[in-house]
Amino acid sequence: MKKGLILGVLVAAVAFGAGTYFGRSGKQDLTISSSTSGASYSGGFKADAATKPEGVIRSVAGPAPTNIVVVKDGESIQAAIKAAPKGTIVRVMPGTYHETVYIDKDDIRIIGVIEEGRRPVLDGQKKLNDAILYSGNNFVAENLEIRNYKGNGIMGQAGNNFEIRNNVIAESGVYGIFPQLGQNGIVEHNVVSGIADAAIYIGMSDNILVAHNDVFDSVAGIEIENSRHAIVENNYVHNNSGGLLAFVTPGLPIKDTVDVIFRNNFVVGNNHPNFGAPGSTVSGIPAGTGILIMAADDVVVESNIISDNKVAGMIITDHANASNITADPESDPNSDRVKILDNVMLRNGYDTIPEAKALLLADGKVGRKNLDIVRVGPSPGSCIVNRHQYITAGVDDFAECDFTNTAATVNYLLPPVPPREIKPGERGKVVYLGICTGCHTYNGRMIGPPVQVIQALYMDNPQGLADFIAKPTKKRDDYPEMPPQDYLDPETRLAVAQYMLQVTN
Amino acid sequence: MLSSLSRLIDVMSAMADSSRERTAADRRLERIVRASWLGAVLFMCSAASLAAEGDKLFASCIACHGSKGEGNAALNAPAIAGQDAAYVERQLLNFRNRRRGTHKSDVFGAQMQAAATVLPDDTAVAKVASYVASLPKNVIAKPATGNLHNGKNLYNGKCGACHGGVAEGNQALKSPRLAGLDATYLKLQFAHFRDGVRGTDPQDTPGRQMAMMAKTLPAERDIDDIIAFIHQQGRPK
Repeated sequence: MKKGLILGVLVAAVAFGAGTYFGRSGKQDLTISSSTSGASYSGGFKADAATKPEGVIRSVAGPAPTNIVVVKDGESIQAAIKAAPKGTIVRVMPGTYHETVYIDKDDIRIIGVIEEGRRPVLDGQKKLNDAILYSGNNFVAENLEIRNYKGNGIMGQAGNNFEIRNNVIAESGVYGIFPQLGQNGIVEHNVVSGIADAAIYIGMSDNILVAHNDVFDSVAGIEIENSRHAIVENNYVHNNSGGLLAFVTPGLPIKDTVDVIFRNNFVVGNNHPNFGAPGSTVSGIPAGTGILIMAADDVVVESNIISDNKVAGMIITDHANASNITADPESDPNSDRVKILDNVMLRNGYDTIPEAKALLLADGKVGRKNLDIVRVGPSPGSCIVNRHQYITAGVDDFAECDFTNTAATVNYLLPPVPPREIKPGERGKVVYLGICTGCHTYNGRMIGPPVQVIQALYMDNPQGLADFIAKPTKKRDDYPEMPPQDYLDPETRLAVAQYMLQVTN
Repeated sequence: MLSSLSRLIDVMSAMADSSRERTAADRRLERIVRASWLGAVLFMCSAASLAAEGDKLFASCIACHGSKGEGNAALNAPAIAGQDAAYVERQLLNFRNRRRGTHKSDVFGAQMQAAATVLPDDTAVAKVASYVASLPKNVIAKPATGNLHNGKNLYNGKCGACHGGVAEGNQALKSPRLAGLDATYLKLQFAHFRDGVRGTDPQDTPGRQMAMMAKTLPAERDIDDIIAFIHQQGRPK
């Protein structure tokens, strides 16, 4: 009797699976596209006539300064920068430097000199918070090795026209390379590892190229967040918890992420256990995610090799379905117009999460051992080519893309753009945008506590907040310690405290 | 002491004087309530007058909060065992100094306001708070239901920065433990903060901070979801 029942169930399951398979394959004609022919995506950024570049741009920081100073082992990089006029190349010789370097002048280049493999090493000894903080424009950092900082490797604070290349950054806090609120920047040929949030984090920035980086052993590999017009190409992104991410983090002053191209990257084996602080946004990334698109619009995924990511090769989601996200009424929560072109996807989703399994079942895909692409939440206007190649859940209703490649879009870089305009009285706002929102969103937990909570704690006490900013004390076991912002002068600290206490989203 | 006693009796009388139509059964019930309250108060007074250590002072609390401080949902008395001593002390002082439990909508707060005045002095308050904090935490509150995905996200976004990732509380931020508290109590206190019943006194800074946060969460459904998440914390897995 029991055997008969099992046999009956088996027959029913096989019949259901076969019916689903043949039913679908019978209904849908196979549309096969080659990425070497067909129309090209024209990109989402059009430079106006005045700034339209002639030819391919490989540099954005303008002409190299002629003034050169040399810093040797045992000397201070910061002292050299303090003494230098704007428009200086600071050559740093091999050696070990225990310091934080602040750059608030324009046209400063910190160029490491590598001698027979020996680099200048900035070592924070797990005592210092940041290796390099720049707010000047036309900033270049090259050939440095950065280790053992608690906060950031290299962080930009509203500086435009930046170039960060050929650096090795390891075990350096929550962000390895983090240009915040910058326009027109290049991050290339860096080796970044062991970062507790994003190894490369492009935050609230525009016109960005992230290329040829080797990024591994971090929670998030390369993250394009609340940013517009970014190309992420030719990177090797492996053994992070999540590989490539295009995100809208709710509660930041810039409310969208639009026009991101992920192309020609190796996104391999991103299965590192997630070691982000529990409850933080980044800790919500399922370990084993190749590419994650959350609430970002017009993300193109083309010609990547995406393999061996155990949860899925690619997850497309919205704010409502994501973990550790508090919705922002001013942000569109959905990933609109995702465009999945030809990619190589192998052995993804072999140990996926129950939610993804349920979505596979909902699509009638019984018994699949792998999962390449999973979509949850609305994703209007999205398209895909060669869908038959992939094991998917939730993308059957994607349209066929009317282009097959992005060859017509070389990059989104511009000739040097003017510095960000700061109106009188806006100092507090710019510091809030350029510094505070790197870790604090208005209404959710990113790295530090939400701004709403800070407003409640310091409601009528801006001076108290300004004092805390200068010399923070650890108050929360499950949050990283806040780095002191005492490089800002007291008036600026008070201005940003006042701004923070009245901002409304 | 006498003035405290008479105030407490006044409060009890006010509570018993409900506006609904009174029946014989009601009057009987009222007599029982009066008698039992009077008994409890006399017991409190005698305990307090001993001015003994915290455990003896705690005898005045057990009628409502339970002998182990486990709380009693039927009496709207929250679980207090293992709660942060500084928080308990601050709340007792708030009650005694009429910074809490004086709003006309806060009937249960009024009971506690009266009960807190029975303690002889601030030293006794500190002792009993310290004793309450030393009691082993025990979770008897019934699990609450709600959307845990939404509750967890909102808890992390709105509450966890002060009350801790697992609702364990944070003394450095003057935030009490929420894990193990009864859903009805949590919801009522939240509403009090939100609606200007609690956390309005200029000297109650932590209360005012909480009131400001409470106003950022207007949807009742979200509160239920957050409470469901809180109820998952501190339980044996």
